[in-house]
Amino acid sequence: MKGGFSAPGDYIYFKSQVPLHKIPIGTKQWRYYDFGPKVVPPLICIPGTAGTADVYYKQIMALSMKGYRVISIDIPRVWNSQDWVQSFEKFLDVIDVHHIHLYGTSLGGFLALLFAQHRPRRVKSLVLSNAFLETKYFAAAMPWAPVVNWTPSFLLKRYVLTGIPSGPHEPFIADSVDFVVAQVETLSREDLASRLTLTSDAALVGPLMLSDSLITIVDTNDKCAIPQQLKDEVSERFPGARRAYIKSGGDFPFLSRPDEVNLHLKLHLRRVGVEAREDLVPGIPKAGDDGGSGSGAGGFSEPKDDREDAPNEESNPESPSNNEGQPPLDTQNNDSHNPDNQPLLLEAIFEKKEVVLATCAWHFMLQFFVIYYQLPVSLLILYINNKRHPHIRLFV
Amino acid sequence: MPSRRRTLLKVIILGDSGVGKTSLMNQYVNKKFSNQYKATIGADFLTKEVEFEDRLFTLQIWDTAGQERFQSLGVAFYRGADCCVLVYDVNVQKSFDDLNNWREEFLIQASPSDPENFPFVVLGNKVDVDGGNSRVVSEKKARAWCASKGNIPYFETSAKEGINVEEAFQVIAKNALKSGEEEEIYLPDTIDVGSTSQQRASGCDC
Ligand SMILES: Nc1nc2c(ncn2[C@@H]2O[C@H](COP(=O)(O)OP(=O)(O)OP(=O)(O)O)[C@@H](O)[C@H]2O)c(=O)[nH]1
Ligand SMILES: [Mg+2]
Repeated sequence: MKGGFSAPGDYIYFKSQVPLHKIPIGTKQWRYYDFGPKVVPPLICIPGTAGTADVYYKQIMALSMKGYRVISIDIPRVWNSQDWVQSFEKFLDVIDVHHIHLYGTSLGGFLALLFAQHRPRRVKSLVLSNAFLETKYFAAAMPWAPVVNWTPSFLLKRYVLTGIPSGPHEPFIADSVDFVVAQVETLSREDLASRLTLTSDAALVGPLMLSDSLITIVDTNDKCAIPQQLKDEVSERFPGARRAYIKSGGDFPFLSRPDEVNLHLKLHLRRVGVEAREDLVPGIPKAGDDGGSGSGAGGFSEPKDDREDAPNEESNPESPSNNEGQPPLDTQNNDSHNPDNQPLLLEAIFEKKEVVLATCAWHFMLQFFVIYYQLPVSLLILYINNKRHPHIRLFV
Repeated sequence: MPSRRRTLLKVIILGDSGVGKTSLMNQYVNKKFSNQYKATIGADFLTKEVEFEDRLFTLQIWDTAGQERFQSLGVAFYRGADCCVLVYDVNVQKSFDDLNNWREEFLIQASPSDPENFPFVVLGNKVDVDGGNSRVVSEKKARAWCASKGNIPYFETSAKEGINVEEAFQVIAKNALKSGEEEEIYLPDTIDVGSTSQQRASGCDC
């Protein structure tokens, strides 16, 4: 199942039904989905380093159909934990949401915990997958953090991608990895640099006011990029949390085991007293067919007007820009012919740098960038190329 | 230091409404019993750490709604089950007659790889009621049914008095473990991916 990635059908359907929002708040650009009845306190999903708001599309589809409101965000360009807490708070104010339930995975789990610590009155409950409590392990695995800001995009991508365990996976896990890899391709250099900075910036989660009984830990019981030790620290910190383990699913159970994750999310929301409003779900066309009556927005969000657009500075809140453009994963990569993921990387670089190089450009390009960025980056390249990731694979 | 990741064993409890599924789980996990009846809605689970042959396991026990109209959560919880517990009330004939349906329903929904040998355990609950005088299903009949379905282990229990609950769950855990381990052999993710995970990092060899 290697080769060019093509977007799964249910994702294409999702993109056709659920509008993407892009709004600037202060200096940050926010990119998010918000779907489901507005009267229900939302579950807000925060992805990991390699994720985007899109990685939760299966949760958005399934839970909104059950009458829950789901918001999923891209981690904005924040550079430290304080920046995160303040920016996220502003975001909530702007979208006019007060009490929230957070579902955070990997880095997103860490960010959810930080926010719960610093804004205890807003966070009513937490669901965590593959989360961690402090960054020092990642900082240690990334000695080149100081030069992250001068590091070209392709190297950052490469670094992030090496953190995603590849190798033989069962098909659903393999598909989830493919999906996330394709999402990484849509991230800009600044996105990646800020996330890596966030992950390596010294920070740890202090005591929470939230009772353990309002926390559910949905961890997968198989191999995953977050070291077991870090996951154990989370379990130990919240001994009274619900442990909703899933036997397998890898790093992205929300993509590879959506039924089970959705079940746990529903159980969690029910336990913490969120009432779904199935009565407000507009007549849903059955997934997969015409989508006919879909004009679809009873108590739901606005109709689908906005789509992904090119990095585009200005767009007003509430009426996001309408640039034509394609969902990041769609067919554009389908012409790739190579058997592994390299073509994705190369294509992205070609586009970005407008360097036209013949087929086997990799080493050539390394040299190009070594000259271009001189010492720090050449060291970094050496580091990335040589490291066999002895202990800690990166986040995800 | 080896990781503390523990084998997860997943157990599903099925049976008619009111037979005592929730009560049995609560008695086993929390050592508590309540006379009040509150129908389970959808499904819910409890976890318990169990030690077995010097190893620690996480038992994830799924309690489901006996009443059909409460089965709102879909069937995702069936996935990856290692053992299925079928419960009936020894004082209610229908709950015994329905065991067959529950068993078949389980096999359809969970579609285990080897349905013939999938471990079930049957519990005849509420043996304490009325000193056994209102009992309508005899132990003999129950054992005969279990024997006919491939020698399903059978226990007569009382969630109220805590009779046989611990014993039953030990067998449940043991059988879950057996099926869980067999299944693991076929899981592709037990292949060590450590050495192959660098493919992406090794550049273009074109
Ligand atoms: N005397 C006696 N009563 C029991 C026993 N087990 C359960 N009960 C009572 O039977 C009633 C139903 O028990 P539950 O455990 O809620 O039944 P359930 O199978 O979970 O029912 P649903 O959730 O509707 O599927 C409750 O009032 C319990 O107190 C038992 O062993 N002995
Ligand atoms: Mg019950």
